[in-house]
Amino acid sequence: MFQLIEIQHDALVEVFNVGVGRAAAALSSMVNEEIILSVPDVYFLSIQDATTALNGGREAPKVCGVSQRFAGAFNTNVTLMFPEDKSLELVRLMVGESIPLEQLTEMEHEALSEIGNILLNSCMGTMADILNSEMHGSLPEYQVGTPEEILGISGNNISDLVLILRINFILEKLKLQGYVAFVMDAAAMEDICRHINDYLASFAHND
Amino acid sequence: MTEVKTILVVDDSKVSRMMIRAFILDKHPDWIIEDAATGEIALEKIRTIIPDLISVDVNMPGMGGLAAAEQLRAECPQAYISLLTANIQESTRRKAQELNVGFLEKPITKQRIEQMISILENN
Repeated sequence: MFQLIEIQHDALVEVFNVGVGRAAAALSSMVNEEIILSVPDVYFLSIQDATTALNGGREAPKVCGVSQRFAGAFNTNVTLMFPEDKSLELVRLMVGESIPLEQLTEMEHEALSEIGNILLNSCMGTMADILNSEMHGSLPEYQVGTPEEILGISGNNISDLVLILRINFILEKLKLQGYVAFVMDAAAMEDICRHINDYLASFAHND
Repeated sequence: MTEVKTILVVDDSKVSRMMIRAFILDKHPDWIIEDAATGEIALEKIRTIIPDLISVDVNMPGMGGLAAAEQLRAECPQAYISLLTANIQESTRRKAQELNVGFLEKPITKQRIEQMISILENN
């Protein structure tokens, strides 16, 4: 299994930390509420092990997934997943009381895609800036299913690795827990390693 | 009392278009708000309206927001144009500068929309 040395792992966690922090700030201003973030847990798994881990040993829960393909510093298919039963409340927090419930239900998927788009772009954009690179994202795709169904979407190979970034983003009112999964092939893993090494080298001489 | 202004909102997200519209109308119920789900539709629309301000999302199907902003800039020299986007990267901010258009980060909030339209209120 793919492994980073400790300093690379630390740097990667830090880069994700900043990215997720920025995404949380975006989410917080969307829902007008403080977001409590856990320290992200970053680990590499096969797609199969990743889905088992995401199921948490229970029967596979239905989740909402918003996926975007990013190309640039490294190529990856990124998916944000959160529990399906909280999705409408999340949309309600986002749009406030200005839109009636019937219209809200009608546009739930579209609104969740937009939430995913904002969070994933905040995260990836911040990472690209830190790594002194660029990321180009595709349009968001929304789907509902088990984590396995969502990660098994076309374009992902069973041999690909998944970098799972497990963050609890807790909204006081919703108790919402989300995950971000980055599916990458071996070439993308090498790219991310190279960027992390450059990033480490960029401040090494300042010590 | 400001005069009636016309605003063109270009965003493929329906909920984003609705939120921008709601926040502007909250403050200026008489302003005219047109919207377009793609850059192509926006370029059609400006044949019949003269917007004072155009907000442009970046990540959209079709030609995309950056190409749209470039053409809108050329076609509507009188309009204030601002990107309003989740793509917060330094490279996108730089492109906005090169195109001579503003840059605002998503998510859409009341404060950000008020900031965007304040340029019209002061003129």
